[in-house]
Amino acid sequence: MLGYYVRLALRSFSRNPGISALMVLAIALGIAVCVMTLTVFHAMSGNPIWWKSDRLYAVTMDNWDPNNAADKKHPELPPPLMTYKDARYVAASRVPMRKVIMYTVDATISGAGTAPLRTPTRATTGDFFAMFDAPFLYGGGWSAAAEDPPPPSIVLSRETNEKLFGGINSVGRVLRWNDQEFRVVGVLDDWFPRPRFYDLNGGSFSPPEDAYVPFAWGPALSLQSSGNTECWKPETINNEQDFLASDCVWIETWVELPDAATHERMQTVLDNYWAEQHRAGRFPRPRNNRLTDVGQWLRDMQVVDNDNRVLVGLAFAFLAVCLINTVGLLLAKFLNAAAITGVRRALGASRRQIFTQHLVEVAILAVLGAALGCLLAALGLAAVHHMYSAAHLGHRGGYQELTHFDTVGVAWAIVLAVVATLAAGLYPAWRVGRTPPAVYLKSQ
Amino acid sequence: MNLHLRPILSALLRNRTGAVLVAMQVAIALAVLVNALYIVTQRIEKMGRPTGMDVENIFVVQSAGFTAHYDLKSSIQQDLAWLRSLPGVIAATPSNAIPLSGGGSSQGLTIVPGDRTRDNSFGYYELDEQGLDALGLHLVAGRNFRHEEIEPPITVDDAGRFVGNVILSRAAAKELFGDQNPLGKPVYDTLKHQATVIGIVDPAMNSWVDNEHSDWVFYMPRLTSSLYGGVRYIVRARPGERDAMIRLAEAHLSTSNPDRVIHFVRPMTYFKDLSYLSDRSMGIYLLTVTGLMIAVTCLGIFALATFNVATRTKQIGTRRAVGARRADVVQYFLVENGMITSAGILAGCALALATGYYLSLQYSLPRLNLYYLVGGVLVLWAVGQLAAWQPARRAAAVSPSVATRTV
Amino acid sequence: MLKMQEISKIYRTDLIETYALRQFSLEVSAGEFVAVTGPSGSGKTTFLNVAGLLEDFESGSYQLDGTDVRALSDDARSRLRNQRIGFIFQSFNLIPDLNVQDNVEVPLRYRGLAAADRRERIDSALELVGLASRARHMPAQLSGGQQQRVAIARAIAGDPAFLLADEPTGNLDSLMARQVMDLLEQINDMGTTILLVTHDPELARRAQRNVHLIDGQISDFRAYEPRAAASGGADAVGAALA
Repeated sequence: MLGYYVRLALRSFSRNPGISALMVLAIALGIAVCVMTLTVFHAMSGNPIWWKSDRLYAVTMDNWDPNNAADKKHPELPPPLMTYKDARYVAASRVPMRKVIMYTVDATISGAGTAPLRTPTRATTGDFFAMFDAPFLYGGGWSAAAEDPPPPSIVLSRETNEKLFGGINSVGRVLRWNDQEFRVVGVLDDWFPRPRFYDLNGGSFSPPEDAYVPFAWGPALSLQSSGNTECWKPETINNEQDFLASDCVWIETWVELPDAATHERMQTVLDNYWAEQHRAGRFPRPRNNRLTDVGQWLRDMQVVDNDNRVLVGLAFAFLAVCLINTVGLLLAKFLNAAAITGVRRALGASRRQIFTQHLVEVAILAVLGAALGCLLAALGLAAVHHMYSAAHLGHRGGYQELTHFDTVGVAWAIVLAVVATLAAGLYPAWRVGRTPPAVYLKSQ
Repeated sequence: MNLHLRPILSALLRNRTGAVLVAMQVAIALAVLVNALYIVTQRIEKMGRPTGMDVENIFVVQSAGFTAHYDLKSSIQQDLAWLRSLPGVIAATPSNAIPLSGGGSSQGLTIVPGDRTRDNSFGYYELDEQGLDALGLHLVAGRNFRHEEIEPPITVDDAGRFVGNVILSRAAAKELFGDQNPLGKPVYDTLKHQATVIGIVDPAMNSWVDNEHSDWVFYMPRLTSSLYGGVRYIVRARPGERDAMIRLAEAHLSTSNPDRVIHFVRPMTYFKDLSYLSDRSMGIYLLTVTGLMIAVTCLGIFALATFNVATRTKQIGTRRAVGARRADVVQYFLVENGMITSAGILAGCALALATGYYLSLQYSLPRLNLYYLVGGVLVLWAVGQLAAWQPARRAAAVSPSVATRTV
Repeated sequence: MLKMQEISKIYRTDLIETYALRQFSLEVSAGEFVAVTGPSGSGKTTFLNVAGLLEDFESGSYQLDGTDVRALSDDARSRLRNQRIGFIFQSFNLIPDLNVQDNVEVPLRYRGLAAADRRERIDSALELVGLASRARHMPAQLSGGQQQRVAIARAIAGDPAFLLADEPTGNLDSLMARQVMDLLEQINDMGTTILLVTHDPELARRAQRNVHLIDGQISDFRAYEPRAAASGGADAVGAALA
């Protein structure tokens, strides 16, 4: 019987090719807009380290101005970065399983036999790679214990290793980083968590840095952060020591807490430290020491911006209009052929058979709409990608990283289209099945 | 003119599903159209704000020294001398940051030393005597920095040092001094160091286009105080010469000093476009989807009208046979369509206002301006009538003889 | 085989109720050829729709082959209609975008017959109506009489127990009308019960029995002389006035 219904549907399309094409187009447009928007939204709201996101916590403490919150729009949040002093305290704690304090610096690599290369670098502690599951192509990181004095070790990104050493295993090679001698200890494999959850300051979708050096090199060489440095307190800063002792925040701090007990102990560590510092005159605001897991961190930092939420709403409104349109067209089309349906009913077709027959017709439209919708969405995403790439002059990072249309996206698009259109087709198919056949038989 | 509203209405009510569906589309389309247009206009206004700068003709060079031999001060002198010697260059200045780029520094200023009641923050730029000229800024009061006023870069040992003179943007001056004349008056940094206001520029913008007060700016006469050896030059080329100058600068500066590396030489439009990219793409996306939505709604109106005409051929013929003119038939269908569209528009107005209210609450957008609602209503009404026009004409072409024909 | 007792059918609008059938009773036995006549608006078509299980009724009972149809679900009624009843309409009601054989196939499809079986029935039905050579024509390529013969082939292809014909000659000229009536008589002779609804007394005269409807009630019925060699007409059972 299914084959018969399919044949009838195809005949029905050839009877009204125009209206059928319009329906497919309407469904396809609705699907395309939805899929495009959701692809970007999904990429934005993704959790790139979901498998351990409930073990990783950003550490923040509110050291800000007693009169003004760090973020006036969200006064409940501490500043997202920490002072040198507080970060060092967390880094010295033995409670967390792993801990990382870090910031970014703008550096130049020379002495590798190539032209001097501008190398944005992350100054970070040794747990970084294991904590964030950064994959190594060659070698490894440096020991978390060896911080003072810091070893002259450097880890390169795969891309940087290709630029400097043509992609060979460069572990053991010596190069000059900001005119200091460093030894390559590891080369990362391709790694691009989107969003870059562990540091959302320089744009949520920026690629990771080109190199990694032990954190202590930053202060040792008086390297300023190339990310954000925020100060609220009028303090005279006349040298590096003044700066390190100041209430300026510039360091990202993360801890790995494997279980609830550790989490509780870590919270106590922070609270005790806060109380001690508070007595000494610091932390003028109410106590607000936070351990924030990755999911909440991405929400707190508003990785998904309001524009995108508006666009998701718009996409669904558009899909609704397309589907209502389809319901209307289907209804008109089906009722237009009600006389024929009446004949079929008189010849013994049950309501259910009529309903199924029309639903098969709808399903074919849905599949065609989904296919065309996916194609349009892919084209649309390519256009958006092009728009962003052009603006970025070929640089990696930013929104164009969000426009990849993957197989999961295609699958969802098809499911969305078929479910939505079938839902839209249910009423017309039901309605035409309910139409009393007698009315249409006595025509003229 | 007798529009026969009642019989049309009762005919409509007897066959209402199609009409209700079209009215729903009209309602959603109106709500989206009104709010989308409102958001888009705001973005266009935002992108069109005057920057006060000659954005089209400016390019930016960023470099960083990386060896112990590198001397920031002499490097800046050499680079500037070379840049200024180019015939295609109007002016060049070192700067700590690039306006409109999203990156830069800001700090609080007060007119009473140590006043902590106002939490304001002004983007600032360290420029030399060619600074205003290099940015293309317009001095509306006071004077520019003089060569001898340009202070040396701050170092790790005197990082808290302020400057003797500053130039304010008019908006910054208004924030600090209200309606008083700020020229010659003192301002203080957070450490209570004093500087004198010597000039006012207008308009002006700082680095952050999304900032509520992106026109709060001040300029300091000082060589850039970047502590990690990096320096940025802002260079203004003669109209039409920018791209040639960029190529020249790239070629020369990347080899002129082996102790530093050139990060980039880019037109200022690059940074401006990047900063407004999300606004621009939001606008394009909103307009595209809204346009498509109206097209789809049109299609729905057209299809319903066509269906109504097709199923009433006989009735139309009968009307014609009993004396209705073509114009009467066209009018019948346009009035019918008008009723459906109007019902949708009525619901759409409520939906539009509710959406606008929700957006203003949820995303702190400003409340919907009612002019947009009126405009949206007119647009949808006109679009609805246009979409029904062709089917109505087709109805008018029905011959009166159908009435007498069987089968 | 068909037994209607005190059936009433009411059409309601917002303002008025119209009795289309009022306490209507009729019995038809297997093999009969019954004509139902009456002026327009007398309830002929309603009777046909009720008899053909296309419409419900408000009160009374209707038994088809001993089954009370009132209690049946839509599925069961459809099956009954499909297997026991054939329809012939005034305006033929062929499906315009199906060719002749596909039109004849429609009821067989809904019966779920195998392809070979369908094929056989289509061929023999078209053979009977004399249109075997037109199997691949589209309805629009046929004359009115031919179209009605296709409709008859479609109605009998499933071997129904009785045929419901609604003014089958109303859209045809007299020559074609005669051919169609001859065909119906031929089918009746083969044992199929026929209910013919018409306003034309001339056609009605060709039936064995005539039921005359006025205002939804039987006003009169006459048993005609059985046609020569009619097999099942002699034991006609009368329909009673309510």
